[in-house]
Amino acid sequence: MSIIRDLLNELLGMFLADARLALATLFLVAIVAGLVGALQAGPFVGGGILLFGCLAILVEAASREANSRSRR
Amino acid sequence: MHQVAWSVAAPAVGAAFLASLVEIVEAFTIVLAVATLRGWRPAAFGTAAALAVLGGLIVVLGPLLERVPLHLLQFVIGVLLLLFGMGWLRKAILRSAGIIPLHDENAIFASETAQLAGVADRPHKSLDWIAGLTAFKGVLLEGLEVVFIVIAVGAGRGLLWPAGFGALAACLVILAVGVAVHKPLARVPENTLKFGVGVMLSAFGVFWTGEGLGIAWPGQDLALAAIVLAFLAVGIATASMLRRPPMEALQ
Repeated sequence: MSIIRDLLNELLGMFLADARLALATLFLVAIVAGLVGALQAGPFVGGGILLFGCLAILVEAASREANSRSRR
Repeated sequence: MHQVAWSVAAPAVGAAFLASLVEIVEAFTIVLAVATLRGWRPAAFGTAAALAVLGGLIVVLGPLLERVPLHLLQFVIGVLLLLFGMGWLRKAILRSAGIIPLHDENAIFASETAQLAGVADRPHKSLDWIAGLTAFKGVLLEGLEVVFIVIAVGAGRGLLWPAGFGALAACLVILAVGVAVHKPLARVPENTLKFGVGVMLSAFGVFWTGEGLGIAWPGQDLALAAIVLAFLAVGIATASMLRRPPMEALQ
């Protein structure tokens, strides 16, 4: 049972190690899906928002963790 | 099998190889601890059993995923790769900046050895069983990420076998080096490898999520190279921006 529990924890940790990063990424994907699907945004707009949004989320997540550790 | 552009095949196989290299180094440390304390038989048995489970996962899940419509598959795997890859990259940035400690294979080896030594008063058979299970669990948990990466970068593009062979090649490399040096592989530049894999997986995630959403990337597959460069540049810049002076990082 311990192996199965560890396996599930490992799986969860693979995708949701930082819940805010995961939520922000899913929110961004939803926005881009809306822009591309409903508003017919072009590849430069849709792709650009997806790429630069992900980069911004990554920088924010790393900086947030760095700040929170420096306060401890 | 349909023709796949090298610009997609090379990062896919490379990501599978490098990610496997990192994870197998970690698994090897646990297997070596088991082998040092209880001999190679339980270690080899546990490892073989875990590899069989992991291989079975790829053989079963891979072809199943090939049946899913391409856009849906790219979208789902793209989003999962984004979550997984950006998580890896975030950790690699923090390690590179000295904010969280680097993975220490020697410390892991010492901790695994101490744990196994702690149950040394059990009967002989039971000890072999515990040692075999420890090796099985270590390889299974470390290998799970490899299986995900192989399936994620391989499925939908006909790259399952090349990515699988990339992972297998990493296994053989680590096994050969490990058997030769017979101690934890602490000098592997693990964080550099993780940084590289995080960059590639995040780039694949953006590329495939976009394709899944119907975005026609300018330059098609070559856009992947540009996305890789963007993640690499931002990753390096963020790590250097967050880097602490050595004394502060040690505190």
